Amino acid sequence: MEALRGVSLEIAPGELFALLGPNGAGKSTLIHCATGLAQPTSGSIRIFGHDAIGDYGAARQAVGLAPQELNLDWFLTVEETLDYHAGYFGMPKRERRERTKELLETFSLTEKADERTRTLSGGMKRRLILARAMMHRPRLLILDEPTAGVDVELRLELWHYVQRINQEGTSILLTTHYLEEAEQLCDRIAFINDGRIVGEGTSTELAARYGVANLEDAYLALVGRNELSRSKIEVAAS
Amino acid sequence: MSAAQIRFATLWRREVNRFMKIKKQTLGAPLLETFLYISVFGAALGSRVGDLHGIDYVVFVIPGLIMMSLSINSFTNNSSSILQQKFQGAIQDQLSSPASPLELLLAFTFGGFMRGLIVSGLTFVVASLLVDLPVDHILVLVPSLFLVGFFFSQLGVLIGVRAEQFDDVAFAQTFVLTPLIFLGGVFYSATLLPQPYQTLTHFNPIYYMINLVRYGFVGFSEVSIPLSLLALTAAAAAIFAVNLRLFTNGYKLRA
Repeated sequence: MEALRGVSLEIAPGELFALLGPNGAGKSTLIHCATGLAQPTSGSIRIFGHDAIGDYGAARQAVGLAPQELNLDWFLTVEETLDYHAGYFGMPKRERRERTKELLETFSLTEKADERTRTLSGGMKRRLILARAMMHRPRLLILDEPTAGVDVELRLELWHYVQRINQEGTSILLTTHYLEEAEQLCDRIAFINDGRIVGEGTSTELAARYGVANLEDAYLALVGRNELSRSKIEVAAS
Repeated sequence: MSAAQIRFATLWRREVNRFMKIKKQTLGAPLLETFLYISVFGAALGSRVGDLHGIDYVVFVIPGLIMMSLSINSFTNNSSSILQQKFQGAIQDQLSSPASPLELLLAFTFGGFMRGLIVSGLTFVVASLLVDLPVDHILVLVPSLFLVGFFFSQLGVLIGVRAEQFDDVAFAQTFVLTPLIFLGGVFYSATLLPQPYQTLTHFNPIYYMINLVRYGFVGFSEVSIPLSLLALTAAAAAIFAVNLRLFTNGYKLRA
């Protein structure tokens, strides 16, 4: 089965880019191809000039992935999770220790440092996954639905953090089902559907392209569900 | 240390750390099991059996038990570790790192090898305290133990990569590995078996491994040592090549 077809996408250094699409559209497959978790049968992916297949070492070194699933190792403590990840990326011990301390504080996990990951709450696991992705100081951070299932407080906390690291120069590729999240945070947005990029631009440009008022309506037009538009919902009488 | 050395050391450290965190299960239980084998087959039955090929029965059995603990622990560690990480998705953290397929494979291999070595080493120490265990041919014993540990570590990796559920690993261990080990002559000499079982034993690869280790300890073997070493080296190299190919292609590891 062909999961991606003729996808052509370019993310500029320092950009905050959103990839939107329905479930099964190919978002995660695209991310997995860029990070080595899937092997494309054809085509090429270049990350800061490094071929993601031929020169995978340098390409992966530049990428940090916070996946959609809470894929933490149950045997490890919070601190070990960060330390081992940095070790996989060749970071020396002293630097690992300092970076671990810094990220534990940033993500309010210091008190949980010695606890095993399986004892953490869902929100804490999500924080840890983001900290882990940041551990080796990637130039491109890929966030695959980072706010799925998290409470409002943590979602906003993550938004602030994402914006801050983007301003510090980290490029970010974000996939999300929350359109307001993409609209609020991202410079550019692409729609992916059925393995193809079907639209790309700012939210205003995408709305104009589909001849609708906003990004959400453009998305609904993409998936052929215009009848669900909020403009067609009757407001309850007060 | 270079970045590649740090990477490999970390991958390997994770594997060792995993079994050290549950050492009652990964080290304690196999040690107790081996101690019970020595007690039952050595102390209880050994006095009735007397000796085999001029060797005290308990001394005849112990090299096989050491080989058994090395092989089963190397195998179990790697098959469980890989399957658990696949199950949790945690293996993605390693697969999306700059580590090469060779680094990943060797780290898993030597993780299991280390557990096998610790359990078999402790078995040797305990056995040496209980009986007078000779080491007649150390130059055969050391490479034999290394090859046996390496082979079963690789086999564990292979089964762990191929497995889709815990049942797959249990099946390989319970219905394939354990019978082959028990029927390979850990507790007896194949020369005592009637036909056709004596001939059939020669088709069991583990029979040759047990004989290599036994020869290293007590200087007795029923098979050709150079030929067995050569065959074991070839088998270990072959399974390593298969695993490296699986890791390179990402078989059941990458989508």
